[in-house]
Amino acid sequence: MQIDWLTVAAQVVNFLILVYLLKRFLYKPVTAAMARREQRVEDRLQQSREREAQAEHERERLHQRLEQLDQQRDKLMQEAREKAEQERQQLLDEARDEREASRQRWQQQAEDEKDRFLEGLRRETTAGFEQLARKALTDLADVELEAQMVHQLIARLDALDEDVRQQLANASASEQVQINTRFALAESQRRQLTEAIQQQLGEQREVAYQESSQLLCGIEFRVGGQRLGWTLADYLDRFEERLDNAIGATPA
Amino acid sequence: MTISPDQIVLWAWGPLHLNATVAWTWAIMALITLVCWGVSRRLTSGPELSRWQNALEVLVTGLRDQIRDVSQQEPGQYLPFVGTLFVFIAVSNLLTLVPFYLPPTGSLSTTTALALCVLIAVPLFGIIHRGPLGYLRHYIEPTPLMMPFNLIGELSRTLALAVRLYGNIMSGTVIVGILLSLTPFFFPIVMQLLGLLTGMIQAYIFAVLAMVYIASASSANRAADQGSDQQGKQQSDQQGKQQGNQQDDQQDDQQGGQASKQTDRSTQA
Repeated sequence: MQIDWLTVAAQVVNFLILVYLLKRFLYKPVTAAMARREQRVEDRLQQSREREAQAEHERERLHQRLEQLDQQRDKLMQEAREKAEQERQQLLDEARDEREASRQRWQQQAEDEKDRFLEGLRRETTAGFEQLARKALTDLADVELEAQMVHQLIARLDALDEDVRQQLANASASEQVQINTRFALAESQRRQLTEAIQQQLGEQREVAYQESSQLLCGIEFRVGGQRLGWTLADYLDRFEERLDNAIGATPA
Repeated sequence: MTISPDQIVLWAWGPLHLNATVAWTWAIMALITLVCWGVSRRLTSGPELSRWQNALEVLVTGLRDQIRDVSQQEPGQYLPFVGTLFVFIAVSNLLTLVPFYLPPTGSLSTTTALALCVLIAVPLFGIIHRGPLGYLRHYIEPTPLMMPFNLIGELSRTLALAVRLYGNIMSGTVIVGILLSLTPFFFPIVMQLLGLLTGMIQAYIFAVLAMVYIASASSANRAADQGSDQQGKQQSDQQGKQQGNQQDDQQDDQQGGQASKQTDRSTQA
């Protein structure tokens, strides 16, 4: 057990050399490699953190976008629903209006049809009635009836206004008085009538008697364009005129 | 019976001679350097790495962690010195498996050289950290009366380092030699296995103690820098006590191992 100082010195030098060599070949490269690896890991982690943040950001953005789209879709749906409702309402209104119009049109047509029918019926009835009356009166007309009419004419002459009587008197002064009847008057009747005329219009008045089938039944007094009479034809004509007036007054 | 490889002289020229200690040291240096050089040529920083690189990274990481735990400082500046102590001692002890190999650490000259290196490195790191005056002041702390004891402690712990390593390795070799002559079969192999364990423990103890000494020289500085940090002071006091224990510890390797682990724990605390 002794110390060889030369060996000690050599070993010190050897150790220092070994320190240098290990520093050169072991610690420095290995530490550097580990540091590089750590750096790479750190870089990777940083990268992944950034990507994660980016992905999170992207997710957030897409989420917002999705929400926006949802809202937009809801809004569009709402609008479309409202528009459809509006459209439906409008169509319903139009249909209702059209139905109402067609109903009115139809009603109008029915009214017109009815009016036309009533009009035709009225005319038909009037014509029929007139024909019937004319036929009945024609059938009824006879001498007896005419005798009544003569009386009636005489009564009228008696009841004439003074003005009219004067006019007739003036007219009959220059012209012959003409009496038209349907049937031939009996002599007595002629005399009665002539007397009545002379009494009213003047003594010298001449009276001419004539028969006319157009009168149906009745008696007609004509002088100087003036006419006085009582005939069924007159009555029927007046009746027809009044009917026409009445029909014309009603709305077609 | 050859106790020290110093006594085997391979080549001599005048006063200079080349003994087995130096020769085996060179061999170990060459081996370590070649392996490191071969591996570090193909270092990758990717996720896939070779087994050798993985082993070296485990080694370096372990050393850095140990240094960080013991010194509570960044391990960068201490790693080459402390790490080389560990690697050199561990490799030279593990190679005892090789036939005809004589570990250089079984030579008191080698252990003395390493202890001298530590002796120089402690004030060197202390001065780097605290400046010359700051470092020298710790010799007169807590009172100038303590200066002789501080000096003696400095020297005795260096001596303890040298002798502890030498004693353990040399004894291992000697025991195997003695057992070979007594029971040549089986039992020497068991003792050699034990020697491997002892050798690794001694490498660890030597490196950690060196780190503790260096750290105590610079952690006092840290405590001073932190001013009235009570915890720091307590820690440094505790370390001083542990150092005192270490100085007194010249007993067997197991006790040394326990003491160093205690030191390690106390420093971590």
